[in-house]
Amino acid sequence: MINLFIVLFGVSMLYMASSSRIMAQINMLKLQGIILCLITLIAHHHANIAGIAFLLLETFVVKAVMIPWFLEKVSKKNNIKRDNNPQFPNFYTLVISTFILFSGFLIANIHSDYMKNISNLYFGISISTIITSFLFIATKKRLLTHVIGFAMLENGIFLLSLSVAKEMPWLVNIGVLLDVFIAVFILGLLIGEIGSIYENPGVCHLCNLKDSESEEDE
Amino acid sequence: MSKFFALDSLNLLFMIILVIVTGAVIVYQGKQDWKYNTIFTLFFLSMTGAIMSSHLGLTWVFVEATTLTSAYLIMQHKTQNSLEATWKYVFLCSIGISLAFVGIILLLIGCDGVNSLAYTDLYTHADKINPFWLKLSFIFILIGFGTKVGLAPVHSWLPDAHAEAPSPVSAMLSATLLNSAFLVILRFYKLMVLAGASHTAKVLLLAMGFLSIFITAVYVYKIANYKRMLAYSSIENMGIIAIGTALGGAAVFAAAMHLVAHSLIKASFFLTSGNVLKIYKTKEVAEVKGIIEQDKFTGWLWVICAMLIVAIPPSPIFISEFIMIKQMIIEHHYILCFLFILLLTMVMFGIMRAVVKTAFGNTNLTEKVKLGFNKYLPQVVLLTAVIGFGLYCPKVIYDLIAGAALWM
Repeated sequence: MINLFIVLFGVSMLYMASSSRIMAQINMLKLQGIILCLITLIAHHHANIAGIAFLLLETFVVKAVMIPWFLEKVSKKNNIKRDNNPQFPNFYTLVISTFILFSGFLIANIHSDYMKNISNLYFGISISTIITSFLFIATKKRLLTHVIGFAMLENGIFLLSLSVAKEMPWLVNIGVLLDVFIAVFILGLLIGEIGSIYENPGVCHLCNLKDSESEEDE
Repeated sequence: MSKFFALDSLNLLFMIILVIVTGAVIVYQGKQDWKYNTIFTLFFLSMTGAIMSSHLGLTWVFVEATTLTSAYLIMQHKTQNSLEATWKYVFLCSIGISLAFVGIILLLIGCDGVNSLAYTDLYTHADKINPFWLKLSFIFILIGFGTKVGLAPVHSWLPDAHAEAPSPVSAMLSATLLNSAFLVILRFYKLMVLAGASHTAKVLLLAMGFLSIFITAVYVYKIANYKRMLAYSSIENMGIIAIGTALGGAAVFAAAMHLVAHSLIKASFFLTSGNVLKIYKTKEVAEVKGIIEQDKFTGWLWVICAMLIVAIPPSPIFISEFIMIKQMIIEHHYILCFLFILLLTMVMFGIMRAVVKTAFGNTNLTEKVKLGFNKYLPQVVLLTAVIGFGLYCPKVIYDLIAGAALWM
């Protein structure tokens, strides 16, 4: 059952990488949040009530509801619907991400002493998600899609942390969650601020600061 | 809470620097509105947390918190450029710090039999950690926290953020924030040494250190913006500290000494650049002429800061770099030594050329701008302390630095 969810998580990542519609990407983030919630509930069924409540808060409330809701709000407020003309055609991104996911499955099938402490499938898929989210950030042009890529990266890292049996102290977990949430929040607010200067906030506008500026003026 | 926070001779040094520099910046910036003060305090507290925490996971939380709290301080003026710089800063540092978290998880995978990420537990059981996962983890930690430190090649946010932030904030970023992130690398480096994987760590630190100096030498050679020049100088100095740490022996003491001197000098330099910006209203080197004629105090502070930062005696930076060069010769790293001296000379030339161009000659402004007493006092105090430290090192300070070096 868990394996099915993990594979579904990998597929959602492929869909995100190939789609140019912002809403589709945000919906996939919601799906990833729900999948992570289900995985933690099934895998940690013997944990105490406080532990389960925190995991629910972390995965369902923050990853599946609050972050996508906030990104949706930013998208509507700034009227950003699509990430057209990415640096790289979406089809190629899909092909490369498929290759990365395939490599993830290969890693999951390595049986060596090094891998004895971890759940292989979690590890393989999470590493491929992390790499794909970098590809996602590098190939898209909109600032909002970069934030979506960042949220996807955090989901991948969360899955990676599930691959290790050991848990962090609650203080650290809450801190990590708070940091990630605030980072997305601040980046969302920044998109609004940058949007008030440029009509279509994209990375192509963010190239004023460079060292050769004044030499060109001369 | 004591299992999460602790004071030892290493973070004591970092705390002292943080308190001194923050004090100087508060005097310099004078009265501010409540919103700025609140966020500035949160920024200070997050750095204190990052320095004092004795748990790797918690340190991560605080280092990421420093990014988030300082974002508002950088974009305070909300200009096109400051927004761009803030975006790059928050986004790149968050991505970098996320990679550092991957490093922490990889360390957890390798920690068979070690149940906590408290530094003392990790050090005690260093021999039980799987070397493969430890080395892999170090790469991620170095790239992750190295982004925050501004080590090349993951430094690209640093010149933008330092140049666009208000000068007191730039001083805080350069003199305290980079240190608090570097402390994590030092803590992890010690774990690598105890686990017997120091060779990998040394090679990586040396590579990033030399690349940082190289990048600075290339960009500073013909720099157009003086605040960017100071930012690149921070990259260079953090690179030098990384090199000193990796060289080992007496160079570790030199690295600790360099860290103290760089923080105090760079804070003064950034604060003085704030005066220059206030008088000339431009950051372009070509548009600033005759600072000494325009404002004697600012002009001489500008020149003295530059001389101290490029390691002209009696700067303590001269002593630390000299010890590092000596260590390279003792260990027969002649090529590294040659490269080190060459790159430092190039950086020295670049910085001094810009400073001489702007400080001397006739001013290009017609009216005088009067600055308050608090715009000079912090720099005078910091620079006096640095010069005194370069001429004579009291036993208390020597013990403090030697104590920190023992932990590195």
